[in-house]
Amino acid sequence: MSGRFGASNQVALVGYAHSVVQRHAAAPLGVLTLDTARRAIADAGLRTDQIDGFVTAPLFPTAGAHAVEDGVSTVSATWLADNLDVRPRYAAGFQGIGQMPGAVAVAVNAIAAGAADYVVLHRAMHNPPGRYHGNPMTSAGGAQQWTAPQGYFGPLSMIALPYNEYVQRYGASREAMAAVLVEARRNGARLPWSYWHGRPLSAEEYLAEPMISDPICRYDCDIPVDGVAAFVLTSAARAADLPHRPVYVSGYATSAPATRRLPLHWPLDDIMAVGRETTRRLWESAGVGPTEVDLPQVYDGFSPFVYFWLETLGLCPPGEAHRFVLDGGIDSDSPKGLPVLSGGGALGNGRMHGVPQMLECYLQLAGRAGERQRTATIGVACQSSPHYGGAVVYSAERF
Amino acid sequence: MSTPRPLPVPDEVSAPYWAAAAQHTLVIARCSRCASFVLPPGQTCPHCHSVDPRFRFEPVSGTGTVRSWTVVRQAFLPGFDAEVPFVLVDVELTEQSELRMIGRLLDGPAAALRLGDRVSVAFEDVAPGVSIPAFTLGAPA
Repeated sequence: MSGRFGASNQVALVGYAHSVVQRHAAAPLGVLTLDTARRAIADAGLRTDQIDGFVTAPLFPTAGAHAVEDGVSTVSATWLADNLDVRPRYAAGFQGIGQMPGAVAVAVNAIAAGAADYVVLHRAMHNPPGRYHGNPMTSAGGAQQWTAPQGYFGPLSMIALPYNEYVQRYGASREAMAAVLVEARRNGARLPWSYWHGRPLSAEEYLAEPMISDPICRYDCDIPVDGVAAFVLTSAARAADLPHRPVYVSGYATSAPATRRLPLHWPLDDIMAVGRETTRRLWESAGVGPTEVDLPQVYDGFSPFVYFWLETLGLCPPGEAHRFVLDGGIDSDSPKGLPVLSGGGALGNGRMHGVPQMLECYLQLAGRAGERQRTATIGVACQSSPHYGGAVVYSAERF
Repeated sequence: MSTPRPLPVPDEVSAPYWAAAAQHTLVIARCSRCASFVLPPGQTCPHCHSVDPRFRFEPVSGTGTVRSWTVVRQAFLPGFDAEVPFVLVDVELTEQSELRMIGRLLDGPAAALRLGDRVSVAFEDVAPGVSIPAFTLGAPA
């Protein structure tokens, strides 16, 4: 049995819209989502009454005690359909990590199966008032009893442990990670919608930043924001009649279950071993390999993920990503560099959770990147960790 | 008085763990079917996949090696503001390959650490009858 995706290149992205990314938007998240969805539908050359499918991933990814309220701190597929006054044939949310790849898979499967013809896929991110990850818990039951009483809590320590494991094992320097931040922020600074528009970061600024959870500093983390993106998907046949050049979904993979661990415990070997299985299935699903990809947009919600994806995707040998980036391997302004953060990533846009990677694949492969347009035919959009996330392969051509 | 740290809420499965910790003994759940140590104990055994693992808590040496660490300089939970900066170590316990536990390293943030350093369990008495497993560098005292 082949692992090739049965609907490879049969469903396409045909339009998009992206809100401005802000620390705190003036409009409520629901209103921002409605506006963005309407603009995406118009961009695709469609009318709202033609949309018969709605898909999202509604996770509000905070470790804090913030309330989750539909239309306020998250926006579900049904909330969007209801408030657009549409009664869709299909509405679903992806429940899991690797939200954009997961949601894309749900949307593509629905279209390939005939459950919907035109799907709006959105992601609405919210930055609540107060500390994003601060939690006032006074007792820890369930899974957290094994970690919170000793102060192991929240995603900064979560990523600090495998990153330090990497640093110690392979001798990775802060100067190497500075190259990642400089690249992400330089590209983010070029995007009018980015929170970091016009604000690149220098290596010196990165190196001067104090640690929060060694070896993680503030700049290694994407900044929480209010922001919404929406994409329109349809079948390759229907896409041919729409205004923009379609970008086809060639294949996808979500991570296999990882080794059972303590909450938020992500040892480096788990990330790499399970991550390699994720990418093996990704290539099998899409029918291409790493050498054919010319736009590998890696996830960078925390900067060490850039190393982990570069290595699990097979773009550089294990343990070598830090040298690779230090040697200009991800300098997207150089013909010798791989454009892995050309879309700015999360570090260069704000916490848009896999949207920047997907959007860069869409814009470049559809020929809609304007002054930033580069030659690219096959893209990968990654999200979260290779062992606890997912990725999608996009193509400008059907193959 | 400073804000207390979050206290563990023992449940049906974990009660023996916290009772032993209160006596400064580290016990780890062991599957009755395949004898593997499991942390944390869930509904099934991750090693033999038994749905009826009947975990029993057994005392372990409390020794292990440092697989990674971080220095926490900003607290996200109550009760730790006065503790920062503090070190958390990711420890592989001696009893079983990849049996890993995370705890505070009580030697302080200035302690020089390397991968593979030996550590031993120690306990922090955080409330009457409540002790939290942690680690110190070196062999058991």
